[in-house]
Amino acid sequence: MNRRQSIRFWWIAAAFLGGVATAMFAEELILRAQGNRLDFSTPRLHIISGRPLARLRNAEPVAFDFQATVASTNRTNVIKRNTARFVISYDLWEERFAVTKTTPARKTASHLTAMEAEVWCVQEMSMDLNGVAANQPLFASMDIRAVEESETRLFGRGNITDAGISLTSLLERFSRPSKSTQPHWNLEVGPITLEQLRRGG
Amino acid sequence: MNKLFPLTVMIMATSAWATGQDDLPHADLPQADPALNVNARYLIDRVVLKRDVWSSRSVSTPLRQEIDQVVGQNLDQSMLESLATRLQKELHVPKVSVHVAKGHAPDRVTVTFEAGEKEQGFDLDIDRFLYHSKQGWTGEGGASVKFHGNKLTFGMVSDADRLMERYAGIQAGFERKNVGTERVGLRFRFNNYHEQWNRTTLETALPGELYRTRQHFIPEVTIRLAEPLELSAGVDFARYQTFLPNPVALGPGARTESSNAAVSTLRYRQRWDSGSDYKQELAASYGVRSGTGFLESDAIFTRQYTDAQYKMEHGHQTVKVSYLSGRITGTAPMFERLVLGNSETLRGWNKFDVNPMGATRVVHGSIDYSYHAFMMFYDTGSSWNVSEDPEQKQSLGVGLQAGGFQVAVGFPIKTGRANPVVYVGMNF
Repeated sequence: MNRRQSIRFWWIAAAFLGGVATAMFAEELILRAQGNRLDFSTPRLHIISGRPLARLRNAEPVAFDFQATVASTNRTNVIKRNTARFVISYDLWEERFAVTKTTPARKTASHLTAMEAEVWCVQEMSMDLNGVAANQPLFASMDIRAVEESETRLFGRGNITDAGISLTSLLERFSRPSKSTQPHWNLEVGPITLEQLRRGG
Repeated sequence: MNKLFPLTVMIMATSAWATGQDDLPHADLPQADPALNVNARYLIDRVVLKRDVWSSRSVSTPLRQEIDQVVGQNLDQSMLESLATRLQKELHVPKVSVHVAKGHAPDRVTVTFEAGEKEQGFDLDIDRFLYHSKQGWTGEGGASVKFHGNKLTFGMVSDADRLMERYAGIQAGFERKNVGTERVGLRFRFNNYHEQWNRTTLETALPGELYRTRQHFIPEVTIRLAEPLELSAGVDFARYQTFLPNPVALGPGARTESSNAAVSTLRYRQRWDSGSDYKQELAASYGVRSGTGFLESDAIFTRQYTDAQYKMEHGHQTVKVSYLSGRITGTAPMFERLVLGNSETLRGWNKFDVNPMGATRVVHGSIDYSYHAFMMFYDTGSSWNVSEDPEQKQSLGVGLQAGGFQVAVGFPIKTGRANPVVYVGMNF
């Protein structure tokens, strides 16, 4: 009997410590409000890693689809949404990354470290919160998915990474759950008000 | 700015080719978008193909030329993926991956196509499976283990189709594709069979012509002369135990004889073009087997054999034209004799009706046509012995095929009653 209690205690302790560790090292979504502009940052998120990084080091461009949403009252009532596709490539000789935002408007940054490339992508997801009340409770989320090689092959690399992909198709992609094999990240924060964010900033 | 890159042929651990270009052109090249892939501004200075040494398939000349032409162009991933897909189709491998790395000079990259089959591992194969309504079942399968460029095989066979006898037993082998150089390979085979004979053959055979068992030990060297051309040479040490087929006949009883033959085969195989609507393939071989007193052979003979096959695919249609001929001089053992009327030649004829003891001369041709799963064929040929006049025989057949599996019925074209022959099986 005592032995069973002892095992239960260690399970609870392990779960607690695991939770604390997860909370300490979890990828976090930080919001910052400047006027009506909402900026995002994800200091602990590293999308250039694992399989996408291996593909980049093989001189392949890798596309990442980003979706930032702001919901009001609850997490499902989305009032603002920003989607974008970023194509990252790794310069074999300079050993630096280049990023091109292909949708909605084309924009490029180059000679970046992996972290700088990630920060650049996240910063590009900032959105205008015009019309949102300062005391309205908000829930923000950032959904990121790496476009898989198989998808790239299926549609032809030229298509999947070029500027031709429409916002509609990006939204459609995010309406489907990500595949289990697909590298994906989802970060959430809230409820928080613009007033709190402005005070914090 | 341009550096000189000598044309390099890389000898990889696996069979490989690599091409480079002396003078890399900068103008008039299709440009990939450097904004999406910064590496698109780099020129490819070399292309390497690494493929499984055990793969018997080669890359067609047009595809090889296209791959070679990539050298000097800007890196374009979509183009490389397209070439990789075509390589995968031609080599029949599960995957061809593309690896890009820094080249030998600044702003140059090297592309490696890696046609992946496992270099090490264990495989089980069914090489042949056939039911022939006149001959019964034939089956051949085995296991192989690959390790460090070596391959050990062990298999079992019971074949009533290829020769005048049904031979059943074990087949073992050791093979190394690269012996010092990728151009030279080495193979040792050991076969041990027990024979069964058709009644017609038993009744026709002379004393000492038939045997109950035979064993072969065949060391062989293969030299890849050029990409489509291969020469193999070796010795087939065969030992067989004869018996008296007809109790009434007079002659020697059971005894062990040998047939030690120098064997040599020249093979050619070429394919054109995986990129076009028409896919063509030509395979041909010429072989000589010569039993000689120099090798202390009891059977003194020379057997020459030529075959060629041309195949063209267009959409769902395939046309195949095959030819073979053979000639034996001297006294060859039964397993060397030439056979028509099996699942590959004069389909519809029974080989025991064509020539129950096999023949020393043979000429055969066939045309196969298939559309989707439907197939039809026409065979014609003749097999005869020196003292006989050749008689041309013909057959027609129809069938269905899918993924290596085939069911067909062949009709001999002859006067009088013609019994069709049914074939069912795979890889025959």
